[in-house]
Amino acid sequence: MSDKPSITPSSESHQWSDLHHQIQDWLAGYADGELDEHHITLVEAHLAGCEACRHDAERQRMLSERLQEIPAPRLSPAFAKRLDDTLASVQTSDRRPVGQKPLEGLKHWLTRLSPSAVIGGGGWAVAMVLAAMLLVPSLTPEDPNQMAVASQIPMVNDVLADYQRVVGNDLRTPSDDADLSPPMQWANGRVLARWTTRVGGEPAEAYAVRLGNSLIVQYQISERVFFRNPDVRQAVARAGDFRTRDNELEVIGLPMRASGLLVVAPSGNVPPIDKSAMSAS
Amino acid sequence: MVNKSTDSKRAHKMRSTGSKQQFDTLVRPWRYRLYGVAQRQSASTEIAEDYTQETLLRAWRDFGQLDDQVAIYAWLLRILNRVVADGYRRDNRRRQLAPVLTTEDAVLSEHPCAAPGPFEQALKHQTDAQVMAAVRDLPDNFRQVVLLRDFEDLSYQDIAQILDLAPGTVMSRLSRGRRLLAERLIKVASDNPAASDNTHTRVTPHE
Ligand SMILES: [Zn+2]
Repeated sequence: MSDKPSITPSSESHQWSDLHHQIQDWLAGYADGELDEHHITLVEAHLAGCEACRHDAERQRMLSERLQEIPAPRLSPAFAKRLDDTLASVQTSDRRPVGQKPLEGLKHWLTRLSPSAVIGGGGWAVAMVLAAMLLVPSLTPEDPNQMAVASQIPMVNDVLADYQRVVGNDLRTPSDDADLSPPMQWANGRVLARWTTRVGGEPAEAYAVRLGNSLIVQYQISERVFFRNPDVRQAVARAGDFRTRDNELEVIGLPMRASGLLVVAPSGNVPPIDKSAMSAS
Repeated sequence: MVNKSTDSKRAHKMRSTGSKQQFDTLVRPWRYRLYGVAQRQSASTEIAEDYTQETLLRAWRDFGQLDDQVAIYAWLLRILNRVVADGYRRDNRRRQLAPVLTTEDAVLSEHPCAAPGPFEQALKHQTDAQVMAAVRDLPDNFRQVVLLRDFEDLSYQDIAQILDLAPGTVMSRLSRGRRLLAERLIKVASDNPAASDNTHTRVTPHE
């Protein structure tokens, strides 16, 4: 009405009209200060010549302020009590086995978390994956320099490749009846998933454990595969375990009764290895 | 010799108690704010209480899947959102089509109350209850973003996460939702010139 654009050549008027409609969807963002520089410039240029949108932007701001003044409704003490009772009864009756729950893939957790959790620094799952990603930015079995040590031992190659796949979000969903207790347990460790993979040409059980900000994967492998390499045999005979590392990942090999355990962790983040518990198991 | 089965039983028990404690520490404190969000989109206190309780029960059920403290409120709001949506379906409440007004809508461009000054006055004169009734009567899509932004003070990014929307969609819904809300409040103001001292006025949803 009063502020319709003056008649202009049709293409220009089309452009104006497109912008006029587009900008109407940005006016909340403008009023809320959620637009970037570029869009602010566009909006302000338009508002200078369009009273309808200018008024709308003003109303958006006023309305938002008015709504923010409204006090939050209070929960009545009676309901608070009832709610607490209900929760308490559910919590005691329903002994939900948290640790045994089939867990979903890392990808799923990532998509569930708010990006602000990453920025806020509290999102452990994101932090963990980011940390793992940062620690293994270019670790590929094809890279001869990084894999110099590992490439001589196929089982180490296999677990590194598998670890890398987990970091790449391809964490498999464990079967429902899977026992998630890993061979090695740490006080603050949390088992994320269990899956079956192949190491040294034979089946192996993998357990992903979160410890602090590190993703640690334990691979329980066959004894035959474990002792196949002479370097491993020698190291175990001498020191009780076998260790290898490069810039990003560390692999610790431990003999177990009738099997072997390979622990893959970001370098410098290897948890304490309780060898006495291992040999006893 | 380590008795593995006793060990894992103990670990399991620790996790169970741990999770109750964690739930009580991490989730329960949010029940006041959750109730606030529930109440603002419920026709009655009883419904708001049902929504809140249902949200917390579902949160307890799914608590094992949650591992991030920072995102807890967002996670709870997601659950609440589903609970409310289910409730609406149960109530057979007709899903309103979301009318899209332009800034040149007749009411917005011609009504004397629509100019910024008079609009601000009109907002001041309407009671909180009147304004809230108008918010509740917004179509779902609009109501959600308005609640999360203007009452819960969340960023567009967080709202996008909670409602599974692109941030641009949050912005357009908020722009349209507030525009519709403004239009309805302008009508209320014009229907009830003495709104300031009239506390029982109900908003008649515009059909
Ligand atoms: Zn315009």
